Amino acid sequence: MKKSRLIWQLLKKFIRVWVISVVLAYFLFPIYWVFTTSLRHRIDVFSLPPKWALNPTLENFEWIFRHTQVGRYVKNSMIISLGTVLLSLILGAPAAYGFARFSFKGKHLLLTSILIVRVLPPVVILLPFRVMMYKLGLFGSLASVIFVDTIYNTAFAIWLLSGYFANLPRELEEAARIDGCSWLRAFWCVALPLAKPGIVTVAIFAFILSWNDFIFALGLTTPVTATLPLGILRTFGAMGIGWTYMTAMCCVAIVIPMIVVVWLQKYYLSGLTFGGVKG
Amino acid sequence: MCPSPFVQRTKMIEKKTLLMFLVPAILYLTIFYVYPLLYALYISFFDYRLGIETTTFIGIKNYLQALTDHRFIVAVKNTAIFVIGAVAIQLCFGLTLALLLSAETRTMRIIRALILLPTALPPLVVALIWKSLLHPDLGVITYYLRAIGLNIGRGLLEERATALLSIIMIDVWQWTPLVAIILLAGIKSLPQDVFEAGMVDGASWWQLIRYITLPLLRPVIVVATLIRSMDALKIFDSVWAITGGGPGTATTVLNFYIFEQGIQHLKVSYGAAVANYFLAMYIPLGIWFVFLLYFRQHKI
Repeated sequence: MKKSRLIWQLLKKFIRVWVISVVLAYFLFPIYWVFTTSLRHRIDVFSLPPKWALNPTLENFEWIFRHTQVGRYVKNSMIISLGTVLLSLILGAPAAYGFARFSFKGKHLLLTSILIVRVLPPVVILLPFRVMMYKLGLFGSLASVIFVDTIYNTAFAIWLLSGYFANLPRELEEAARIDGCSWLRAFWCVALPLAKPGIVTVAIFAFILSWNDFIFALGLTTPVTATLPLGILRTFGAMGIGWTYMTAMCCVAIVIPMIVVVWLQKYYLSGLTFGGVKG
Repeated sequence: MCPSPFVQRTKMIEKKTLLMFLVPAILYLTIFYVYPLLYALYISFFDYRLGIETTTFIGIKNYLQALTDHRFIVAVKNTAIFVIGAVAIQLCFGLTLALLLSAETRTMRIIRALILLPTALPPLVVALIWKSLLHPDLGVITYYLRAIGLNIGRGLLEERATALLSIIMIDVWQWTPLVAIILLAGIKSLPQDVFEAGMVDGASWWQLIRYITLPLLRPVIVVATLIRSMDALKIFDSVWAITGGGPGTATTVLNFYIFEQGIQHLKVSYGAAVANYFLAMYIPLGIWFVFLLYFRQHKI
């Protein structure tokens, strides 16, 4: 009786471990594939049945840096992502503070409208925005992508940070105000440093959103200003099966987001769920 | 009693300060978001193509044209199938994962961190990876599917019957972890005593889930469903990079169709009209989500 129960327990544990391993393999295999393929010799990739043994080489990375525009794509993506982070915070943080600390007529309506901006589909804004950029002579510039990414990230910053600021104790700022600080100084010197986790969340999330964006880059950039995802598609869309090179370039594109998820998961998750899940 | 001049003065200063905080962001969103949206509405009543300077007023002709456009109807249908299919699978799979990975051990925490990796990758890169894995001749997955004797024709992505399903499965791969983590956070915040009561009453494992966990988890499930549905409606990258809307119209989804018409074919007005249809379908979801989130945070 006791023995059969023990066996049942063991079996249950075994099944559990097995199922979890399968789940892990399912989610990690494509990532494993992209990394290992980027390290293979061209000839090894296309053998059927697939080869699993790895005889690593860095020649693919060397090749893409020599023969493609990957450097330029990375630079463009970096400028767009960092520009968006900066602009969204400059616009979003003070506004969030305003929403958190002052009450005025129509505040709730305004704040919910801003949040709706964040969730609306990009394609809806893309067409008119593109015409607007044409008319302003900004079409094809890095700035145009920064501007459009900033819309979403400012809305997000206002939403997330207004929650942060509202939860900070008012007393600290009031003390600063009584000591003669202006609201602006109280915001800058007291509230902003205290809201650092929120700021980090917004920065990380805005960065990843811009870094991973494809549709805006596709609709607004020229070959000179193409971002990394677009660059990968442009370089390898027509090349068919230059997989070792393509995966090498993909590795360049995924390394930053992957580092963020592993090391800054708390912030990333909070951004991904609109502040719903706090690590 | 009249407020003293001093109070009045302070109030004015407060108002000025408030404006200083809010105005830059509001102005920015108005210029770069509200104005383009209104422009899209305006231009959808004209016949405007980028590069051609003449614009003629044609009323609601663009909107009527869309309704008789076979590809638009197919795009709506495909989008609906995609969203419902992807979100439903993600919810079932995500709930299973959440229950499976809920233990608070070190290993589980590491596993939970690892399965979140797909969510951070650029969707376009994910699309290219799966395109290679499912390549009709050389794809690893294609090879093993054939090896176990499945008849997949020219390959999953090349057959009308399986192309949209493949796009759904790619979305499932990338976004199920997010659903799992949201549901997991929900499970963790449930009160423990009801489970203890259930166990004392002799409820089985399945009964606990069916009659306690799921009903209590309903608000979280709604939020997860909304977040994923809104995001799934934006499906574009994988269709663009993998199938180009094909084979035939099998994977032509709304975003793809709007991009193709409005940007590739330069038919700005028609694209805007279709985009406005899309927006009209989308907005109820958006408002529902925002109000849920807002009420939860502000408790008004």
